[in-house]
Amino acid sequence: MTLLTLTQITRDFHLRGGLFGGRRVLRALDGIDLEIARGETLSLVGESGCGKSTLGRIVAGLQSPSSGEILINGKPALRGKARARQIQIVFQDPFGSLNPKMSVGALIAEPATLHGLVSRRDAPQRVQELMRLVGLRGALAERFPHELSGGQRQRVALARALATEPELIVCDEAVSALDVSVQAQIANLLQDIQKKTGISLLFISHGLSLVRHISHRVAVMYLGRIVEQGEAEQVFANPLHPYTRALISATPEPLPGTGGNRLELEGEIPSPLALPSGCTFRSRCPHATERCAAAQPPLETTGHAAACWHVDSLPEYAPRQTTPPERMRAALDLYRSAAARRTPPLEETIN
Amino acid sequence: MSDATAFAARGRTWRRLRRNPMMTLALGVLMLITLAAILAPVLTPFDPYETNIRARLKPPGDGHILGTDSQGRDLLTRLLYGARTTLLIGFVGTGFGALLGGTIGLCAAFYRRLDSVLMRIIDVFLSFPSILFGLSLAAMLGPGLDSLIFAVGLSVMPGIARISRGAALSIMAQDYMDSGRAIGLPVQRLLSGYLLANAYPPILTYTTLAFGDAVLLAATLGFLGLGLQPPTAELGSIAAEGRSFLFLAPHVSTAASVLIFVIVLSFNLLGDALRDAGDRRSV
Repeated sequence: MTLLTLTQITRDFHLRGGLFGGRRVLRALDGIDLEIARGETLSLVGESGCGKSTLGRIVAGLQSPSSGEILINGKPALRGKARARQIQIVFQDPFGSLNPKMSVGALIAEPATLHGLVSRRDAPQRVQELMRLVGLRGALAERFPHELSGGQRQRVALARALATEPELIVCDEAVSALDVSVQAQIANLLQDIQKKTGISLLFISHGLSLVRHISHRVAVMYLGRIVEQGEAEQVFANPLHPYTRALISATPEPLPGTGGNRLELEGEIPSPLALPSGCTFRSRCPHATERCAAAQPPLETTGHAAACWHVDSLPEYAPRQTTPPERMRAALDLYRSAAARRTPPLEETIN
Repeated sequence: MSDATAFAARGRTWRRLRRNPMMTLALGVLMLITLAAILAPVLTPFDPYETNIRARLKPPGDGHILGTDSQGRDLLTRLLYGARTTLLIGFVGTGFGALLGGTIGLCAAFYRRLDSVLMRIIDVFLSFPSILFGLSLAAMLGPGLDSLIFAVGLSVMPGIARISRGAALSIMAQDYMDSGRAIGLPVQRLLSGYLLANAYPPILTYTTLAFGDAVLLAATLGFLGLGLQPPTAELGSIAAEGRSFLFLAPHVSTAASVLIFVIVLSFNLLGDALRDAGDRRSV
C-alpha cells in the first residue's frame, strides 16, 4: 500500500547574482516522481549537491516544493503539526540536531506531549519505553546531549522522531557522520524498529555499502533528477544507467589494487546554474550521442527503470571484480605478522 | 539530577568569573551601591529635600560625612537618593531596551523576510549618537521619569537588537531549530525554548555593558537639565548643581561625579568579565 506519493516535485532557489547580476534560478529538483510504500525502506543515493537532502526536507515539510504534489495516504499533505505527526526527520549531524539546553528525557517527551499522545504525568514512562526501543539506558534520560557520544545522540534523535508515532521517518544522512561500527549499529536498529512498528523509511545517503544492506528499493539521483530506480537487489546486481554503474564502481575496495578495473567518470559535475540540455548526465557519459542532447529521457515509475535513451543498447553490465576472499585472508595474515613484528612485547613497553 | 548537571555548568562559569578579581570587586561595589540606594531611608537620618540655609556648602566632616550642598542638604543623603533615581532609570531603561531590542533581533533572525526592513530601521537608530538621540527624545517628551526611561531605553535598544540578531542567526543555522520545526512546535516555543535559550549569553553580556551606558546617559541628561527637575535628587543634576560652586565647594560635584564614574566603570568591568567567562561556545 502506498504511503507517500510525490508527483512532479520541483524546487527552485532564486539566487541574487551580486549588485548587477540580476536574478538567477537554481533548479535543485526537477520533476521528481516517487512512491514509498508502507513498511518499506527507500534509499535515495547520489553525489553531494544532487538535491537528495532538499527532497528529504520537502517530504518532512521543512521546505515547500516550488511546484508538484505530495500525497500522504492518498490525501494532499498537510503542513505544520499535522505533517509532524505523520512524517519525522533525523538529521546527519548528531552534535547539532539536539537542543543543548534540554535533557534527553525532555527532548524525547516534547513531541509526545506536544501531540497529546501522553499526558505530562505519563511522559516519563513513555520516554523510558522509547529509550528502550532505540537501545538507550533509561538512566541517560537525566543527561544532556553534550554528555553523550555521537551514536547515543543519534539514538536520542531517533527516539524523538519516533515519539510522534509517525508513518515515515526521513533519515537525512543519519549515519554518515558516525564511526563505521556505530553506523552498522544504527542501521540495524532502524531495521529492527521497522520490523516492530511497520514504519517506512526514506534513507538518504551518499554511501552505497549500507544502502544495499538495508533498503528495499533504491532511487539514484543526479542533478535534481532521478536517473534510476528499482528494487535494491536488481539495481545493485544489474544497474541500467551509466551513472549508477559509475557510482557502484566507485565503492571503496578493502584491499586496494585487487578490485579489477574501475569505471571512472570524466569531467566535473556541471554547475546546476548551467545544466546541459536534454539528459543532464550526457556531459560525463561515455555513451552519449546527439539524441541525449536533444531531449530529456523519461523514467518509468514502476519496476526497475532508468532514465537513459540507450538503456537497451548499453554494453552488458560487468560487475567489478571484488577482492577474492583468499586474497583478503592472505593480506590480513601478512598485515598481522608485520604489525606483530613492529610492536615491542608488552613488558618492554611497561618498563 | 538534571538540575544538578545544569548547576554544574553554571558552576563552571561562576568559578571562571570568581577567578577574575576585578569582576568580584565590580560586582561587590555594584551590590553595595544598589543596596545603599535601596536602603537610603534607613541608612541616613537626614531628609534629602529639607533645606537648611545656615548649613550651606559645608565641607565634609562635622556631622555630615560628605558635607552639604548649596541648600544645606546632607550631600551623602542626596547622593544615595540620587543613586536610587539614576539606577532606577538605568535598570528599567535598559530592561525596556533589552526587551524591545532583543525581540526585534530575534524576530529579524527568525523571520528572514522581516530582516532587511527591521535592520534598516535599526541602522537609522544607530546612525545618531546616543547622547544626541537621548537628548532630543527627552526634549521632545518633556521632563519626567517616564520619558527619561523611554529615552534611555530607546538609546540602548539598537545595539542590543544588533547583537541579538547576530547571536540568533548563528543559532538559526543549527539543525535543532529544524528539528523543533519538524516535530511541529509552535512559533513561540521555538523562539523562547530553542532560539532565545541558546542565543542569550552574548545578549546578556552586551546588556550588562549597556547598563553602564544607560546610567551615564541618564546622568548626562540630568546634568544638562533635561532629566528630572530639581529638587528631585539625581546624580547628574547634583553634579550640575555643584558646578556653580566648583571653586567654593568642590566636594559637591566631585562626589557626584565619582559615584557616577564608579557605577559606570563597575558595569563595564562586569560586562567584560562576563564576556571573558561566558562567551565560550555553549556546551
